[in-house]
Amino acid sequence: MSSSPRKRPASSAIVAGGAVILLIAIVAIVFLSGAGRALYPPAPATAQAVRTSELYDIVFAIAVAVFLAVEGLIVWSILRYRRRPEDTELPPQTHGNNFVEVLWTLIPTAIVLVLFGLSWNTLNVVDATTNDPDVRIHVIAGQFQWQFEYLDAKGNHVATQTKPIGDGGGMAVPVGKKVQVTLTSGDVIHAWYVPRFLFKRDVIPGQTNKFEFTVNADEAGQVFHGQCAELCGTGHRVMLFSVTAMTQADYDAWLQNLVAIENATPPPAPSGAPVLKEEAKNISYVNGNLQAPANAPFVIEFTNSDPSGVTHDIDVKDASGAVVENQDTIPGGTKKDYTYQPLAAGTYTFFCSIHSNMTGTLTVQ
Amino acid sequence: MATHALSPAVPAYRGGIYEWLTTTDHKKIGIMYVINSFVFFLIGGIFALLVRTELAQPGIQIFTNEHVYNESFSIHATVMIFLFIIPMLAGLGTYIVPLQIGAPDMAFPRINALSFWMLPLGGILLLAGFLTPGGAAAAGWTSYPPLTERGPLASPGPGQDLWIVALILIGTSSILGGINFLVTIFKMRAPGMTLFRMPIMVWTVLVTSVLVVMATPVITSALVMLFIDRNYGGSFFNFQTGGIPVLYQNVFWFYSHPAVYVMVLPAMGVISEVLPVFSRKPLFGYKAFIFATAGIGALGFSVWAHHMFTTGAVFLPFFALMTFMIAVPTGVKMFNWIFTMFRGQLTFSTPLIFAIGFLTMFLIGGINGAFSAAVPVDFALHDTYWVVAHLHYVLFGGSAFGVFAGIYYWFPKMTGRMLDETLGKVHFVLMFVGFNLTFFPMHMLGLAGMPRRIADYAGDAGWNDWNLVATIGGFIIGVSMLPFIWNVLVSLRGGKIAGDDPWEGNTLEWATSSPPPPYNFDRLPDIRSERPLFDQRHGLLSGGHGGGDHDDPAHDDAPKAIPAGGAAS
Repeated sequence: MSSSPRKRPASSAIVAGGAVILLIAIVAIVFLSGAGRALYPPAPATAQAVRTSELYDIVFAIAVAVFLAVEGLIVWSILRYRRRPEDTELPPQTHGNNFVEVLWTLIPTAIVLVLFGLSWNTLNVVDATTNDPDVRIHVIAGQFQWQFEYLDAKGNHVATQTKPIGDGGGMAVPVGKKVQVTLTSGDVIHAWYVPRFLFKRDVIPGQTNKFEFTVNADEAGQVFHGQCAELCGTGHRVMLFSVTAMTQADYDAWLQNLVAIENATPPPAPSGAPVLKEEAKNISYVNGNLQAPANAPFVIEFTNSDPSGVTHDIDVKDASGAVVENQDTIPGGTKKDYTYQPLAAGTYTFFCSIHSNMTGTLTVQ
Repeated sequence: MATHALSPAVPAYRGGIYEWLTTTDHKKIGIMYVINSFVFFLIGGIFALLVRTELAQPGIQIFTNEHVYNESFSIHATVMIFLFIIPMLAGLGTYIVPLQIGAPDMAFPRINALSFWMLPLGGILLLAGFLTPGGAAAAGWTSYPPLTERGPLASPGPGQDLWIVALILIGTSSILGGINFLVTIFKMRAPGMTLFRMPIMVWTVLVTSVLVVMATPVITSALVMLFIDRNYGGSFFNFQTGGIPVLYQNVFWFYSHPAVYVMVLPAMGVISEVLPVFSRKPLFGYKAFIFATAGIGALGFSVWAHHMFTTGAVFLPFFALMTFMIAVPTGVKMFNWIFTMFRGQLTFSTPLIFAIGFLTMFLIGGINGAFSAAVPVDFALHDTYWVVAHLHYVLFGGSAFGVFAGIYYWFPKMTGRMLDETLGKVHFVLMFVGFNLTFFPMHMLGLAGMPRRIADYAGDAGWNDWNLVATIGGFIIGVSMLPFIWNVLVSLRGGKIAGDDPWEGNTLEWATSSPPPPYNFDRLPDIRSERPLFDQRHGLLSGGHGGGDHDDPAHDDAPKAIPAGGAAS
């Protein structure tokens, strides 16, 4: 078989070569100008994320090289070898070439094996857990809120952050300290995800997942956005949390405050105030209509009968939609007496701050 | 053994719609597959545009009931996967495979009809969920329990049950189709059509059918278990009674990862038919390509848990290694395609342009997949818009571009008329630009931390611009369907008459009339290589009875020395 290609005009080589150079130039300009920044993950905030970020950089460099090489070859081929009117004879009927075929099997194999080795190496750091973490946090996920139970070195309860993020909730951790997180869920699958930690881990009912991270020392004072990453129902998108990085001193004070809040005895209900009853079950209020006297304080004895991960409260908004009462959420399986300030006569809506479809009517007269 | 007892004589002619409703002709069934799949493509596309409209900017725009948003993306994905891509490629295969192997029909024509008719039924059941209290299935196309268990905290309505039943029906259709393909390919090839002379399209359908027959019963078992959990108090996936939620994921992905190859291998087959014809060269490395296809099929069964890296319940090193390894045979194919064009003579008809679209976009879908194979990087990217970008570069940039390459390539065979080239190129440009505007920014969104399946996001999250770009791109994709539909409607009546072999094809479907008669062939050319028509056109067949009819003297420009049989000898 004749192996030499027929002569092609030099112009096609110039066009094709120019196009390939243009492709490389565009990619280079994108990255040199900083516009390519969007193709990198956000700045890593933990020791583990730094390693993941380094791995990403390597994968990304190889990816760009492969992309340019192969895409360049495609562009070259389609511009250089377009059929011309004088092409009446067939081109050489090449059926294959063992040498190049072995080459393009072995080289990619080598590349992916290297990538596997590198990612394996990084995984052993990112996914490692120890027996002596500095901080232990038990994260309880439920539709659609996060609770953070702080544990001591023996795994005993210290205090639980039950407030939703809108009410100053979220978790706090000291910088530079090994934080071990255990994850449990009582209802459906959720995922704990903090973009700047470059990490997520599923929260699966019936299974306890565990991971560790150490926030970089220079991140003290930063608040990291966190969000559920596994579809968990209609409120999936509002299942937000935050991780606040603190110095050890600030963290100790924060935790003490959390303990104090938890141990504080609630102020006694005003004597003689009427007591209403409400129960939450299956993410709805059992009693959708409540009546209270006008211009007098009252109490709602609230029982949350949902699974422990599912938190509820009873907030109140007036006819204009303005929130007039804001209570703290309580986890499933617990009770609390909420005390409400006097309200003017009228019709109000009471609602759960976690579940937008949980509402009822409060008639004040 | 490739001889075959001929089917009974053609029954008395039945007119119009009755003929189409009762036909067992693989060509009519194939065309119905294609039309049915395209209708569901439009339905799935409308749901996608609703989702993109909602996400165009922060704040709730159209889905005041966010449950309907969850229904929309769930039904979008379910329709696109199970009612568009898989049946569309099965339809092209149903039409083309018997023609390419020189057979009069599929091995089981009635089962073939049954396979088809289960699809619209399944589709109607799926969409009927919207009419039920609680709406359609809303737990994503993956439908992970416990969210899909019955119960007020999960999926109380019958929509989820309809989803299960629809998927079981569609899966059964796939299994029947897969068996039909296997028997057809193994038992009904024309004399001379050895396995290593079969067109690549047939090979990819063969491997796909093996995947379907092996994997689909597994997802059916997952669906049945979920149905029992929901309706009869089963405890397969219900953790409160001892079930294991992750078990569902293992069983689901044991099917659904090979299903990715079910969705992409036949599209690769289409590309492998189109590129040689429009390059005037044989496929580079025919046998290597077949082994790569079989290799992808085999490795495809050992990577399913890479969808579950973040569950904490996966043996990570094995699945990470296998996931990296599957890039190798995929890369082999990419180079085979490029070197088919290399030193060829390329004619940029619409099928070739869509095939090149496949190459350039599927390459990105392969490369961004390697990021997720690196487990720590996957911890960052899993369940973000990065994954949405990746899967669309594979299934839209890959499969859908391949589907359109196939439609433009075989439309002349199916209808006897050519599609308009200008409209075809307008279609391509709009779709290519719209596709990249929609899905490339999703890489940035995923890296910036935007999770999948959320109806809204904070305005200060930094996600606004890319979301707007993606939505604009989505509507450009939508608009790109208009020139295509117009093209089909106009060309059916007034398109240029195609003749038997408008593209100078290599394979047997071009050896018969367009459209082919019932039972396909009056006579067959000799089959001495994987390109019997090429051999015939260039006088490479010594003797035999196949010459004459379709020889076009204008193209009788045989090269000096080509070994008859080529790579297949």
